[in-house]
Amino acid sequence: MSPAQLPSRGDYFKQWRGGGGKVCAVFPAQYPKELLWAHGVLPMEVWDPPLAPARAQGHLQPYICSVVRQGLELLLAGGMDEVGAILFPHTCDSLQNLASLVADYLEAPAPNLFFYNPKAPFAAAAKGFYVSQLKALEDDLALIFGPAPEGAMEQALEWSRRLSGLYAQTYARRAAGELGVGGEEFYRLLRAGEYLHPRDYIPLLEAWLNEAPAQGGPRGQGIILSGVLPSPPDLMETLDGLDFRVVHDDLVSMSRRLLYPPPGEGDPLEALAESFLAMPPCSTRGSSLSERLEWLKGLAQSGGAQGVVFSVVKFCEPELFDLPELRRGLKEAGLPSLVLEVDVNQEVGGQAATRLEAFGEMLS
Amino acid sequence: MSLSAKARMQFMKDLGFPAMLSLAKATKGKRGPRKANPDFGPPLKCATRLKEIMTRHYYLSRFAPGARPVAWVTSGAPVELLRAFDFYTIYPENHGALCGAQKMGPELCAAAEEEGYSPDLCSYARVDLGHFFSGKTPAGKLPKPDILFCSNNICQTVVYWYKVLAHRLGIPLLMFDTPFNYGEITEANIAYMKDQILEMIPVLEKASGKAFNMERFLRLAELSKSTSQLWGQCLETMQARPAPMTIFDAFVHLAPVVSLRGLPVARNYYEILLAELTDRVARGIGAITNEKKRLMWDNIAVWYKVRDFSELFAARGMNFVAATYTNAWAETIQHLDMSKPWESLAKTYSLVILNNNLEHRLGLMEKMVREYAVDGLVVHSARSCKPYSLGQYDLKRLLSQRLGIPAVVIEADITDYRFFSEEQALTRLEAFFESLEAA
Repeated sequence: MSPAQLPSRGDYFKQWRGGGGKVCAVFPAQYPKELLWAHGVLPMEVWDPPLAPARAQGHLQPYICSVVRQGLELLLAGGMDEVGAILFPHTCDSLQNLASLVADYLEAPAPNLFFYNPKAPFAAAAKGFYVSQLKALEDDLALIFGPAPEGAMEQALEWSRRLSGLYAQTYARRAAGELGVGGEEFYRLLRAGEYLHPRDYIPLLEAWLNEAPAQGGPRGQGIILSGVLPSPPDLMETLDGLDFRVVHDDLVSMSRRLLYPPPGEGDPLEALAESFLAMPPCSTRGSSLSERLEWLKGLAQSGGAQGVVFSVVKFCEPELFDLPELRRGLKEAGLPSLVLEVDVNQEVGGQAATRLEAFGEMLS
Repeated sequence: MSLSAKARMQFMKDLGFPAMLSLAKATKGKRGPRKANPDFGPPLKCATRLKEIMTRHYYLSRFAPGARPVAWVTSGAPVELLRAFDFYTIYPENHGALCGAQKMGPELCAAAEEEGYSPDLCSYARVDLGHFFSGKTPAGKLPKPDILFCSNNICQTVVYWYKVLAHRLGIPLLMFDTPFNYGEITEANIAYMKDQILEMIPVLEKASGKAFNMERFLRLAELSKSTSQLWGQCLETMQARPAPMTIFDAFVHLAPVVSLRGLPVARNYYEILLAELTDRVARGIGAITNEKKRLMWDNIAVWYKVRDFSELFAARGMNFVAATYTNAWAETIQHLDMSKPWESLAKTYSLVILNNNLEHRLGLMEKMVREYAVDGLVVHSARSCKPYSLGQYDLKRLLSQRLGIPAVVIEADITDYRFFSEEQALTRLEAFFESLEAA
């Protein structure tokens, strides 16, 4: 199985809808996908739709990030007209206001759902509150899509556990140098999880892991890729082209969400809450700088990375605030870093490639 | 806490500061009064008292370490909790406004940028971090905090910003997580906030070395409530025509309710201010001499332009009589109920404008337009403040459509004037003035 065989988002959406499937568009970042699966709903995540900015500009100031801008562009361009609901997890100020803007001031094409993730440092009350949020979302989903069939939640949790294991295995193999693929292929595969149903995605991921070569791929300097998401698309091609080995990532859309502890047995909502609270540190969840720094150093050590590339979406406050202290701490630990400011709908460009090349030379 | 530090602070409070103030007054007397601008009515007498209060607050703060536990606090945090433990509180946002008004924004922001902080970040945060790195401040010197107290009811930005301070200073960060109200506030949200407050009490006991006393807390919470109510009454006097003060005055007179809420000095101040404003209303004294049009302001002030804007609008007979920003410290205080202190404290702080959905904001602004007889709206799109600014283009459109009043958006920043184009703002304002005068 190769990434080329993966169905595109558009094709998969059509196929799913054609079969009478229910879809919920989901804005970044963290949400309990298991609840949607349990209600027979396919979550389609909206991170960086490749659209030319046009309609959104009339609603957003120029200093709002491209993730928010592109998401609104998709909505205004009719890209969410056929979904059954739109879910807005609480991630940052901009996504918070985007949710309210869509719900209160614009004509949303579908019912809006909201999900508030408690912010760190987590109070002892955070777990109970998270469970209350899960229950509220469950009720909303039941109203829109109908109640979850008996046993559906258990099935959803089982998919979640299997995916947790597969993600952990995928990352561990890459960090150990036993996955001979470049970043472009790696992230194309993992990003398919943003729109494929686990029933289809799990076998694809398993097959890919079985078939992926242990050798090959870039052989150059090992780096950690930190930031929001592996985008714009040519970023990974550029890194591969410069022979960088991305040994691990610390991306909001990827390992910070994918390396979650598998939900345990017992009460499903309690299990999901425990899993959420034990996720890797993330700026959008308010994790402390010490936690983030230790996490990054640990990733670098486990994969033998020599440096860190921060690919930060312009105007992304949660990431930009953490950056100086993380860079300072990494430098003290002997890990140089490079910052690229990107827009998800614009190519990284030649200047960034030159800076990356120089960074690679410095690491060697 | 040390006895010598306490004695030193008491000495400065009783003798040092009054002596300094007398000296300053003597010096000022020699300079003579500032020339009056004919577009304005007589200045508020209270302004002198306000300056004394805030100068005293910042002056004494430098003697607080060792004498009192010191906390740096966000403007929307439930400070009543800290008051109960006798913390000396510093508000970096208020300090940011001060730096902005003194036109120190770019210099301090640049100091933060040299340390790697992006110019795209909130300039209150950059000013504060710039002060932290450079030590520069118009307030003389700020005391290092023992604890940081932050609530995300005004923005998530403060969480990121205070995390940096906590990391650099190696001190605890207390975070009051207030779930955003996409719709009506829920019982689950209130319960979560109440539980957090209860969890904070032992942490504050440890940090301050003082046991929590419910009676004292209720007394201080009541003081805080009456202070905010008095502030609300001060703002309501601007419903009179002519309004006895402008919103630019209110931006300045806001400082005690932000920074000294829960202390007698703040309540006493607003009693005096309210009396003066009520008297001006009774005597028909307006803040500007020829009030022809009444305006509303949305968002934080453009601190480095307060005086210029004040003069620009007054020269055209236009007075700002309402602002969502100044209203924020009065809007929700009615929820504070001493018979249910924790739940009501949670509601009071959760329902503030920036933690509430945009439908709420639209409704609030419609109400204010009617109550204050507003003729036009000026929307400050502040690149520093995303929760205040994202949605404003549609807010302006909807308010104009629903109420038929002219509105204008000006792009600026709260303290960093490198991001303000005067020419562009004036061009937009000229068009706004024309439509307002034609209305």
